[in-house]
Amino acid sequence: MGGTRAFLRDIAKKYFAVGIVGVTVSDRYASVVSVRGSSMSPTFNPGTNANDYVLVEKFCLQNYRLSHGDVVIFCSPINHKENHIKRIVALPGDWMGNDALDDLLYVPEGHCWVEGDNSASSLDSRSFGPIPMGLISGRVTHIIWPPHRIGRVGRPDNHRELRLP
Amino acid sequence: MGGIRALLWDVAKKYFSVGIVGVTVSDRYASVVSVRGSSMSPTFNPGTNANDYVFVEKFCLENYRLSHGDVVIFCSPNNHKENHIKRIVALPGDWTGSDSLDDLLYVPEGHCWVEGDNSASSLDSRSLGPIPMALIRGRVTHIIWPPHRIGRVGQKR
Repeated sequence: MGGTRAFLRDIAKKYFAVGIVGVTVSDRYASVVSVRGSSMSPTFNPGTNANDYVLVEKFCLQNYRLSHGDVVIFCSPINHKENHIKRIVALPGDWMGNDALDDLLYVPEGHCWVEGDNSASSLDSRSFGPIPMGLISGRVTHIIWPPHRIGRVGRPDNHRELRLP
Repeated sequence: MGGIRALLWDVAKKYFSVGIVGVTVSDRYASVVSVRGSSMSPTFNPGTNANDYVFVEKFCLENYRLSHGDVVIFCSPNNHKENHIKRIVALPGDWTGSDSLDDLLYVPEGHCWVEGDNSASSLDSRSLGPIPMALIRGRVTHIIWPPHRIGRVGQKR
């Protein structure tokens, strides 16, 4: 009886240890999230089938090594309970061409401009403006589900940002 | 020889477990930070002596149960590498009076207005504007150092 109890305690301790390590890794290093909605179509969720699952790495947050074209997860500036996935189009200090305003927009320090790949159906910086980079919680590197779409998430071919000398 | 190695391995595993648990607790539940600057004087750092150390709880982030007067730590919207400590003066949907503008400001959804207790020397929402609540990293509940100032941090200036 004593041997069984010690055995169960040992198993419980190992599960707890694995759980804690898993939580720490997921918080700080990498995790998996499901993508909802079609604002990043066709990069993610190109059809109306099941949602894509993507791998999110958080090493980029240590030094904020983020570049144009990176797909990031960020907390919505207008609803702190929601996370969104969009692509970085402009970084701090960039000037952006804005077709709607026929004007140039300056992206202030500490902020970035994000847009969804599916412009027609995307709630992004065109509505809520540049977002503070402190809201970014990770960078999407790979699609890991469904199997026929497994692969790296790359940069798009066109950049809409214009850098003044 | 085998016994000593097993003992060292056991100690190392215990230190590692404690370390991991400590990191998880500090990330998600509560941690201790030092306060720099005088923007929250006299609540924190009332003199030019050593910095206060405060206890920060992160349970408030689960449901964002934040109230007027709560002192929070947030990531600066202009510099994601810096954290600031200020007091929440207005919540989403509030209209806040701003003396410098002689006007009423509306605090949009998902944002809050923060100010330092030491208005003369505080970089806060009067310069940065309302900050998205998602930048908040935790709520200050107690001063835990120096010993003669240990106590709860209230919701009044």
